Amino acid sequence: MAWRNIWRNKLRSSVVIMAVTIGLFGGLAATGIMKGMVVDMVKNTLETQVSNIQIHNKDFMANKEVNFLMKNTSEIISKIKTDPVVAAVSERTKSFGMASTASKGIGVIINGVEPENEKKVTQLFNKIEEENGTYFTSDKKNRIIISENLAKKLNVKLKSKIVITFQDYEGNLTGASFKVEGIYNTHNSMFDEQNVFVKKTDLDRLLNMPENTSHEIAVLLNDFQDTPETVERIKKAVPNYLVEGWYDIDPYLKLTSSLITYMLFIFMSIIMLALGFAIVNTMLMVILERTKELGMIMAIGMNRFKVFKMIMFETSMLAVVGGIVGIVVSILFTWHFGNVGIDISEVAQGFESLGYSSVMHPVLELIDYIEVIIMVIITGIIASIFPTIRALKMKPAEAVRD
Amino acid sequence: MKVIETKELFKTYTETEVEVKAVNGISLSFTEGEFAAIVGPSGCGKTTLLNLLGGLDKPTSGSIIIDGKDISSLSSRQMIDFRMNNIGFVFQAYNLIPVLTAKENAEFIMNLQKKPKAEREARISELFKAIGIEGKENIRPSRLSGGQQQRVAVARALASKPKFILADEPTANLDSKATTELLDIMRKLNEEENITFIFATHDQRVIDRAKRIINLDDGIVVKDETEVV
Repeated sequence: MAWRNIWRNKLRSSVVIMAVTIGLFGGLAATGIMKGMVVDMVKNTLETQVSNIQIHNKDFMANKEVNFLMKNTSEIISKIKTDPVVAAVSERTKSFGMASTASKGIGVIINGVEPENEKKVTQLFNKIEEENGTYFTSDKKNRIIISENLAKKLNVKLKSKIVITFQDYEGNLTGASFKVEGIYNTHNSMFDEQNVFVKKTDLDRLLNMPENTSHEIAVLLNDFQDTPETVERIKKAVPNYLVEGWYDIDPYLKLTSSLITYMLFIFMSIIMLALGFAIVNTMLMVILERTKELGMIMAIGMNRFKVFKMIMFETSMLAVVGGIVGIVVSILFTWHFGNVGIDISEVAQGFESLGYSSVMHPVLELIDYIEVIIMVIITGIIASIFPTIRALKMKPAEAVRD
Repeated sequence: MKVIETKELFKTYTETEVEVKAVNGISLSFTEGEFAAIVGPSGCGKTTLLNLLGGLDKPTSGSIIIDGKDISSLSSRQMIDFRMNNIGFVFQAYNLIPVLTAKENAEFIMNLQKKPKAEREARISELFKAIGIEGKENIRPSRLSGGQQQRVAVARALASKPKFILADEPTANLDSKATTELLDIMRKLNEEENITFIFATHDQRVIDRAKRIINLDDGIVVKDETEVV
């Protein structure tokens, strides 16, 4: 009967259901987009540079000087690789210097990588379009991978030469000419403008680095959620060096991904509060219109608990039906645009400089939907309390006569 | 056999500045098979008395004994169950539930009583035949005439086999033909099945058919005549 009552005034019920649907869809879509942006940013950052865990000389992170290096790195890497959750390990030499052409010079971080190992740990090689060269396929010395942004700023193209100058291990100013082999684009303009990549062997030679040393060891895990426990294990295996998870290396990433969870809750709470008031208003009108009928059913023997259940069911159903439709629409939206993406590059050019991709891929997880379903049910129940109390206060004798 | 008895029944309303004694010390009894009309001018206390008899309202003092039980001492929860199992109501405005069919409306109380489906179907079929609305079972109230709706309301009141039926102005919204037909049905049920009907009315057509007429004025029984037909 309660279900049929909902459809007594089709237009009114449809308007309320529509309001819930649109409200939920709006909230979920906006959250999905924001979450997708953050997920993309985190994924992009972990994939292109940070990986899951990094190991450094304790002083290197503070001073960024080439002589704060790690020794016996091949032994350290062998130890780390014995851990079953570790998928790949790569070591890097890092230096800070100037990339110059005839027209311009820009300060950069020079990353000396082992191409084959690095490909297993980070996905930078995938960020080079076919027409923009290759990722260290040449056996020749002094090849460099730079970003599209940097290439524009330095006014260079593929196969152009760039002079890199930096301080070597002994503190002498040194430099070399590098030929551009590949041009990448991670869509994170801050990262792109700062980082250039060369082979570790080239950089080690130019820096006069001692044998079997490096500045950074990057570790990729099979599942990044195992990071905290693995960090602890590696700390025990490598006690003299600084071992950090991605969330310590880039706290901003951790903060943004935690914030998004709260945002969903706050966002949806506000929407549900507004919808709750709309539902209460509608149900109060319904009770007023059905005063006589409710009085009659109580007069002929329907007890207050059954009346309570009926009104609560009717109210909750308005929220639940709207909720289900809203969630289904949101699932379809997230699924479609999660695959296709929403390109906002034309209207949000500054986005990339903040580390976000200008192509948004909405993401919502099962837990987000569960959270929203629970909120819809709670809203339905809370919204039904006031109308139900109003109905139960009715005196059958008066209601029937009114 | 007495089905209802009231003893020194009072109902006083004190919500307004002036105290109103709607029922002022009424002692009455109704026996099984009565076809009685409580009559009188507007505001004489007809509906108040009917509400007290039906347990829809509590008396200020006095007692209402139904089947040997004083219902004025029942809690509101007990009263709801008591009404469901013992009293049938017919209202002026039919008060059928628009989203239910005629049959569903009629079996509403039996559903509340959790009667099995077979018993419900047999009873409704029997009643619809008796009150002349066979074939209207699956029609919703909005598609029935006023007379037909009130017949469904009578079927609903009778479905649970109550001890008596209380009808408050049941013909007020009906035309002459529908009124005559409805009264014929009620009188027939009263005579053939010994069902007790108590009306609150000022409709002369109902008064003309009543076997007993109780005249009220200012909450007092001023005249109580039996077998005037």
